[in-house]
Amino acid sequence: MNRGAIKEQPVVINPCKACQPIGAMYATLGIKHAVPLVQGSQGCSTFVRYQFNRHFREPANIAVTSFHEDAVVFGGRRNLIEGIINLVQHYHPEVIGVVTTCSSETIGDDIAAFIKEAKQRLTAEIGAEKAAKTFIVPLRTPSYSGSHVQGYDNGARQYLEQLAQESKPNQKLNIIPGMINPGDIAEIKHLMSAMGAANNMLFDISETLNAPLKMKNSFFPDGGTAAADLVDAANSLGTIALSRHAGGGAATYLLRKFNVPAVLGPFPVGIYNTDLFLEQAVKLTGQPVTAEIKRERGLLLDAMADTCTITALKKVAIFGDPDTVIGVARFASELGMELIAVGTTADSKEFYREIGLIAKEYNCAPQIVADGGLHKLEQVLLQNRVEMLIGNSNGAAIAKQADIPLVRIGFPVTDRVGYQRRPIVGYNGSLWLLDYIVNAFLERK
Amino acid sequence: MPLITMKCDELIPERGKHTYITDTENPVIPACNVTTIPGDMTERGCPFAGARGVVGGPIVDIIHMVHSPVGCAYYTWGSRRSLPDWYSWSGPNKLDNAAFNRRYCVTTDMEEKDVVFGGGTKLKKACIEAFKMFPEAKGLFMYTTCTSGLIGDDIPAVAKQVEKTVGKPVFFAQAPGCSGVSQSKGHHVLNHEFYRQIKALREKNPDLCMKEEEKTPYDINLIGDYNMDWDIKAIIPLFEQMGIRVVATFTGNERIENLIKMPDAKLNVVHCQRSAGYIAELINEHAGTTHLDVTLYGIVETSKALRDVGKHFGLEKQAEAVIEKETARIKESIAYYRSKLEGKTVALYVGAPRVWHWIHLMEELGMEIVAMACTFAHKDDYEKINAKAKSNILVIDNPNEFEVEEMLHDYKPDLFLCGLKEKYIARKMGVSTVNSHSYEKGPYADYFGFVNFARDIYQGFYAPVWNFVKNNPSEEVE
Repeated sequence: MNRGAIKEQPVVINPCKACQPIGAMYATLGIKHAVPLVQGSQGCSTFVRYQFNRHFREPANIAVTSFHEDAVVFGGRRNLIEGIINLVQHYHPEVIGVVTTCSSETIGDDIAAFIKEAKQRLTAEIGAEKAAKTFIVPLRTPSYSGSHVQGYDNGARQYLEQLAQESKPNQKLNIIPGMINPGDIAEIKHLMSAMGAANNMLFDISETLNAPLKMKNSFFPDGGTAAADLVDAANSLGTIALSRHAGGGAATYLLRKFNVPAVLGPFPVGIYNTDLFLEQAVKLTGQPVTAEIKRERGLLLDAMADTCTITALKKVAIFGDPDTVIGVARFASELGMELIAVGTTADSKEFYREIGLIAKEYNCAPQIVADGGLHKLEQVLLQNRVEMLIGNSNGAAIAKQADIPLVRIGFPVTDRVGYQRRPIVGYNGSLWLLDYIVNAFLERK
Repeated sequence: MPLITMKCDELIPERGKHTYITDTENPVIPACNVTTIPGDMTERGCPFAGARGVVGGPIVDIIHMVHSPVGCAYYTWGSRRSLPDWYSWSGPNKLDNAAFNRRYCVTTDMEEKDVVFGGGTKLKKACIEAFKMFPEAKGLFMYTTCTSGLIGDDIPAVAKQVEKTVGKPVFFAQAPGCSGVSQSKGHHVLNHEFYRQIKALREKNPDLCMKEEEKTPYDINLIGDYNMDWDIKAIIPLFEQMGIRVVATFTGNERIENLIKMPDAKLNVVHCQRSAGYIAELINEHAGTTHLDVTLYGIVETSKALRDVGKHFGLEKQAEAVIEKETARIKESIAYYRSKLEGKTVALYVGAPRVWHWIHLMEELGMEIVAMACTFAHKDDYEKINAKAKSNILVIDNPNEFEVEEMLHDYKPDLFLCGLKEKYIARKMGVSTVNSHSYEKGPYADYFGFVNFARDIYQGFYAPVWNFVKNNPSEEVE
């Protein structure tokens, strides 16, 4: 493994990451009747809505406090207080996630104090009972540090810090999905219900960002995690954060504060990782792995056996969010493919460790491109005659230039339809991903 | 009819100043280009989006350097369909679109320490490094955002230093996201700063100006067209058929060397008068070039534009010949679509100019406009709307999401021409949409573009899915 290749560069070309606020908004949109309120400029909400619109092909309701010159000079106090009052009076949300940005963090807004003042004014204007119906949660996500992945992690943690409360044990398993797709969440729910394990899916976008066409009777989409379930998360049997980097912080908080056992990862793609995920779910819930799930595992194994010569020794590069890359890299190795390069958003020790383990186990030496951007990955890819790229739509031009197939996974996939509905997790999801990979090779035969 | 307050705005009385019903007898101008109410579910973007995304972005052969934390650069990466044809190293199996404006996202990726200690040094290094990586780049454009604007990095100084080191022109637009009420502010800033910079460049280096012997008496600039889905492919040939040469398009699919030559043209033809009218006025002020405001959508408006331009150059006969030929070519198609669309109702929601650009076009298709809305229109846009629109049409300035929903619900248009964010809302309400920002299957400008536009409206409206939606048994209307 070549760690020396990574050094700080003054310029980043084609970054493999977005900024923190989008991650916090992703988590917020998974809460029932919740609105993210962006404390910043209008671009900070509009651009993010575009991203969600393009990927999910769904409306995304995000409000903004509209920073103009005066906010920069006098601070964002007036904007936030007015914003909260307008939102509550107009839309009656159950949860408002106040998402900070680089501008509000740079000018040093005292978000907690502003929210307190807004609550007082709301109580005076609409009465204590109505005002108490909306949880207002500050989510500190300065855009100039970390990435969207860290934004999700911070957002999820801050929700639980503000909301989770100890009461009676609830016999449920918390699952924090991370920035995965509606299809993935649905597949995890399928596994849980097949096991007969009650789950508390936190930040559940599986319905809010995948809604049927029907005449709506509410401003908010159906689905999402109820605020009460976030409160109740302190009383669960345990927490599994599918993505260590996006949700691990929240799981760890529940462990430290309420002694809820926490499991971080792995991202359940492929045989090894899904086995591990189920093993942990069995341990935490006491429910067994059923014949139905075993059959799904058998189908995946069968398909792997049928196609192993097609995928064998194919050179592959994978990029995306760290947990997705770790999971898919192991699955690609299980298919006999050779890992040439992995690109990710964060310079995380855990990422290096996990990729290192895969490299050792499968005897390969992938180059890790963290922080250099996809342009750097492109160079590695061209030099090494990689035969397949796995990642999001931002790799489309690279794959075209290298004349290799791009297998689209993760967020955002904007230039094809439907991938947000399809899972890549669990045995079923892995099976679909396997078909996709193999067919991409067959197309080129 | 006066200003009105929509039902959903009862608790936000200020919004009543932004909404009115047209009346040809007593036109009203709503409150516009003013601050957005915090917490309002606005559809507006920020000045940076106007500068990088709209006006500066389409320039194809320069590096677009966004000096910001990663997000601002990431979100403006290849998202707007102002298409380029710049082939720098295309060949067999190579990407056919290597132009900087959509292929690359170049950023300083500011981090906490840059915010604390200043990002000027990093920006300088980043620009020099980017020039090394892309030796084919003809220049560089720097954009500031909230963070780099707030900490006060000295952008002009960095630009000067980089220019000196690299020997290529470096431009900049300082339009941080928090510097104005909408993207319109960014258009304004970029126009002014860019023109000031090309003027200085031309004075310093007269070689960059157009040579006397290169000039023709019929040189024009096409100002304010961003080549959405190849609009300029429809527009430029019309002028060429009249014997007119388009020196530069500001800025769709344009090279920087041509943009520097803009003041050498004889006439500025201004299409998007909201985002680029400023530069036409600046050129007029400094070089004395007159400008003509035109609309290049639909038969009526395009023909008027060609006549106006023809009149300016004494090319009336040529203009009439082009109009006759082009109109004859599409007459039957438009008649067909008109027979299918006549009497249908439509709501228009675009940034600003396309709302009034399209009023006559809708009439040509026999469609009835029931509502209009603009994200960032100014007073003059509403004057143009009032001059063209019939009475009794709802007009909303800077609508929020509730207002869009109420408008669709109460006015029940058969079709909604809108952008990406609104189209998913409309579809959930069973209203068919056509993307009016970056088009479905463009180009939409000019004569054959009009056929595309009519076809997309027809296809959007007649798609069988809407029949199922209308008879949807699970329908739950409140």
